[in-house]
Amino acid sequence: MRLKIILALSVLSGLILSWNLHTMFLKVPDELNQGAIFRIIYFHVPSAITSFAGFFLAMFCSVGYLIKKDLRFDSVAASITEVSFAFTTITLITGSIWGRIIWGIWWTWDYRLTSFFICWLLYVGYLMLRRAIDDPTTRARLCAVLSIFACVDVVIVWKSIEWFRTQHPGPVLSIRSGGGMAPGMEAPIWWNFLALIMLATVLVLIRMRQEAMQREIDTMRRYAHAF
Amino acid sequence: MDQNYTFMFYGFLVAWLVVIIYVISIALRERKLRAELDRVKRMVDDREHEPKR
Amino acid sequence: MTFLQQALAIAGKDLRSEIRSKETVNASLSFALVILMLFSFAFDPGSDQVREISGGLLWLVYAFAGTLILNRSFARELVNDCLDALISSPASGAQLFFGKCLANYLLLMVVECVSFPVFIIFYNARWPARWGLLFLVMLLGTWGITVIGTLFSAMTVNLRLRELMLPTLVYPMLIPALLGAIRLSTVLIAGDPLETDDQIWFKLLAGFDVIFTALSLALVEIVLVG
Repeated sequence: MRLKIILALSVLSGLILSWNLHTMFLKVPDELNQGAIFRIIYFHVPSAITSFAGFFLAMFCSVGYLIKKDLRFDSVAASITEVSFAFTTITLITGSIWGRIIWGIWWTWDYRLTSFFICWLLYVGYLMLRRAIDDPTTRARLCAVLSIFACVDVVIVWKSIEWFRTQHPGPVLSIRSGGGMAPGMEAPIWWNFLALIMLATVLVLIRMRQEAMQREIDTMRRYAHAF
Repeated sequence: MDQNYTFMFYGFLVAWLVVIIYVISIALRERKLRAELDRVKRMVDDREHEPKR
Repeated sequence: MTFLQQALAIAGKDLRSEIRSKETVNASLSFALVILMLFSFAFDPGSDQVREISGGLLWLVYAFAGTLILNRSFARELVNDCLDALISSPASGAQLFFGKCLANYLLLMVVECVSFPVFIIFYNARWPARWGLLFLVMLLGTWGITVIGTLFSAMTVNLRLRELMLPTLVYPMLIPALLGAIRLSTVLIAGDPLETDDQIWFKLLAGFDVIFTALSLALVEIVLVG
């Protein structure tokens, strides 16, 4: 059943992404001020939203593990965090490439980029902690606590860096230059977002299956050593 | 203008590259896990059918 | 015994042990002085540039030196299974944690209070007119560092890569508190007037401390025991 869901979502996601590629390159004209590079927004913004949502979803699953003590919650949290980490990387790199054209620099400590970089670092910490602990129960417990802390911290980080950077104005960053987009130009962002969410779900489901396999291996190994 | 298109291409390339690399890493991990699972299953079978000492 | 009495008992134990051995504070203080010296190579001391970055410099020194103290906090209990003994004692995880926080806080404040005059001397800065407010910033900022650091010290105590994991996990978490402390310290050391915008940082620091103290006290039992 789950395999069918994975397959269906992959196909649907692939179709939407292909259709969107067609729309992005052939239907939508170059943006007035930015030129062709603005099309990166069609991947940059959906990745950003997906990766940000990952924090909160992972936190809910972590809380679920701490309450229910069911390792499946931990699997979901770990899978979501890993996939969100990939999307955060995409967000940072595509944002940097966009910035290279628009502002002429690869990086700036604008509040959004800085906050996203901190999100990336928090994810790295989580993934490192997972690799550092061998015992599954301890790993689940400690990573759940870290996930909760990271999520609360992300909210505070976002607001505090925004205040910090508005006090020291840096380059005026506006992905939506001109205060909004023409209706035809905005739709592909949301279609791509749908496609990326489906892709993320597929990846999370596959990772969850792998975590279940790992749990089975651990159980059988313990059983084997009991002889 | 040319640079614009080149960088847009790089941007898309990077996005897809990250996804592809991640998918490949998942696939490799799957293969490793299956091999490990088979190995452990065989170990359990051997231990179960071993004559009791 | 009440919560506070238990916590103070544990804080007292840690402080007594530290006063007798002086190992952590000495190491932390030396490290702080070394960093101050290293930064003097990176920036020209006494120039205007230092005025702008004084807060940042100070809090980086405090954060780095603080990690040494925080790392030792739970690691010192591993010898002779003292950590197991503490966990199985009548003191709850929260009381153990709070006691250690208090001890670490005091030790870190000592290191900071000693490093600050050295910073003033090394970088030709003037003693701030509103040193009371600066001390308040130090009190609030240090509590944030201590709470997060002590919790993550408890989390990483049994890991192989403890010394590596603690800084990796702690520094991104501390960024809001460090931002606020840096901003306020820079303004106060330079002697500039505190604008209304800057008062938001006091609120941020206080809010950060309250939120993470509450969260840590709620979750530390899970981290220590399960």
